[in-house]
Amino acid sequence: MPKRILIVDDEPRYLRLLEANLRTEGYEVSTAQDGMQALDVFSTQPIDLVLLDVMMPRLDGFGVCQRLREFSTVPIVILTARGEEQDRVRGLDLGADDYLVKPFSATELLARVRAVLRRARPPVETATGQARFFIHGDLKIDFARAEVWRGEDPVSLSATEYRLLLQFTHHVGKILTSEDLLGSVWGAEYKNDKEILWVSIARLRQKLENDPHAPSHIVTRSGLGYLMPPIEE
Amino acid sequence: MDLHTLSTLHSIFREVQQKQDWKVALDTLFVSLRDTFVFDNVAVFLENPKDKSREVVYARAVGRGKTAEADAVWGDSVASEAIARDTMVLSQPAQPLKKTTGRLNLACLLGFPLHIGAKLSGALVFVRFGGPQYTPLHIELASLQAFWAAALIERRDLQQARAELDSVQRQMRLQDDFVSTISHELRTPLGFIKGYSTSLLREDTTWDEATRREFLNIIDEEADRLTRLIEDMLESARLQSKTLQFKFSPIRVDALMRDVATRIGARHAGLKVNFDFQPLPPIRGDGTRMAQVFENLFNNALKYAPNSEIRIVTEATDDKVRIVFADGGEGISAEYLPFIFERFYRVPGERTVTGTGLGLYICKQIVMAHHGNIWVESVLGEGTTFVIELPVSSTL
Repeated sequence: MPKRILIVDDEPRYLRLLEANLRTEGYEVSTAQDGMQALDVFSTQPIDLVLLDVMMPRLDGFGVCQRLREFSTVPIVILTARGEEQDRVRGLDLGADDYLVKPFSATELLARVRAVLRRARPPVETATGQARFFIHGDLKIDFARAEVWRGEDPVSLSATEYRLLLQFTHHVGKILTSEDLLGSVWGAEYKNDKEILWVSIARLRQKLENDPHAPSHIVTRSGLGYLMPPIEE
Repeated sequence: MDLHTLSTLHSIFREVQQKQDWKVALDTLFVSLRDTFVFDNVAVFLENPKDKSREVVYARAVGRGKTAEADAVWGDSVASEAIARDTMVLSQPAQPLKKTTGRLNLACLLGFPLHIGAKLSGALVFVRFGGPQYTPLHIELASLQAFWAAALIERRDLQQARAELDSVQRQMRLQDDFVSTISHELRTPLGFIKGYSTSLLREDTTWDEATRREFLNIIDEEADRLTRLIEDMLESARLQSKTLQFKFSPIRVDALMRDVATRIGARHAGLKVNFDFQPLPPIRGDGTRMAQVFENLFNNALKYAPNSEIRIVTEATDDKVRIVFADGGEGISAEYLPFIFERFYRVPGERTVTGTGLGLYICKQIVMAHHGNIWVESVLGEGTTFVIELPVSSTL
């Protein structure tokens, strides 16, 4: 089956360039002109590789990369017009598999695409594997849009609260210690600031739980840590 | 501490801290405690950290020293001593004071070292002419004021340091933005030229004739865009650095506008222009540069409002001529209007049309060099209107 590649760039001439060359190699091509559109296309079509421009309106390439990595292991190649090292490092740190600095030649582009596809592991099918949506009782998360609902009501979370929530959704059924959570959400220098975590979890429960005193999404295991219990089927 | 004292201190504290200027804050501090602690002169000496020289940075004569001017004692030596010994220095005449003469020569001096940050940086000296001698309560209050003065001076230093830092950061950010915009603007056409030419050079595939022509056209257009971009950048750099020479002479902007319209019309058969000209007095201007402004407006209209009629109105008032240039295109959303004369700014979503983001910046710079004004009005779905006003000089 031919591989399908999603090209994301706000310049129609780049879309045309990439599409024309990729088709000569037998790839199927989907296109998007901004970051939000890219996430929408990604969640409606099976995509084997994403070619992602950085400078785009609405949601830039780094943002798309970050969101995709919250629920997908799809290979991502960043196309950047800026050759600065910090941009390349940022892209790779956010989970991109490779990068290509504009201007690039058509043959180099095709070679990179072949190499990244060769290295790509088959998609992982786990609870959160490639799924855009996460459901836990009445809690629903759209990773692509970074949106959270409780039942029918949208929940507004701060960036830190959202990152904290993702720690739980990515490790359902596993007890996470205060040090784990503080280290991965706030950073290593906050590892001993337990009180910050307490306040944040209390606020998260206020927003997510029907009864914050009898939580069902984020449960305390005294002396051990916190967990999101697995949902009984 | 009783409630009255506490609330007095509280209100003094609030009043002093609210003063943004450190000298005004010091004035407020000394005045507010003067009921309890009377003095005639006060001076603050600070050491210059570079060469250790000492300078007076604040001095007030509020009492008997008011009329003595430079003849009065300001406690320079007491300041030296306070700094040298890093302790309070009290210097007052031992013998009882006579009220008759020489009051100004009998000074009671009280000096305190000032610690700013962790450093011993200067001294504050109170002067009282002819007594009475300082009591322990006076000394305590004076000490409090000296300590507070040091804190106010430290606040001034921090404010200055932060302002300098802010300004350096702003400069750096502007430079960063400029460099990254330039490199992005240059790389975009270069990226197309490289991408499409290497596509045509691929040996492992063949392109049909229509695709080859399409790619070659794109390469050609992008090479032109690069050329234009470089020309515009040089022009805008000259405008920015004010090295662009203007040759001013009496010009008629209405005739100039007609010339430009004819020239553009020769290249674009579809151009429709509706003139509504009131006769204009001649103005002082650079004809070549003003023609460039009008050309830019035409080119924008052709790009962003293709197929729409352009309506040009000229009006004259007592001291100004006004040119109104209106298209009937899609218009520009109000949120983008404030930025469209900025260097490199392009309305988002207009990427299908090639452009450099420099044209209107150049227009504005040229109009401003004529002491005129240019602005834009736009209604979505109805069109965009540029208005240029130029002064009519009395001496042409």
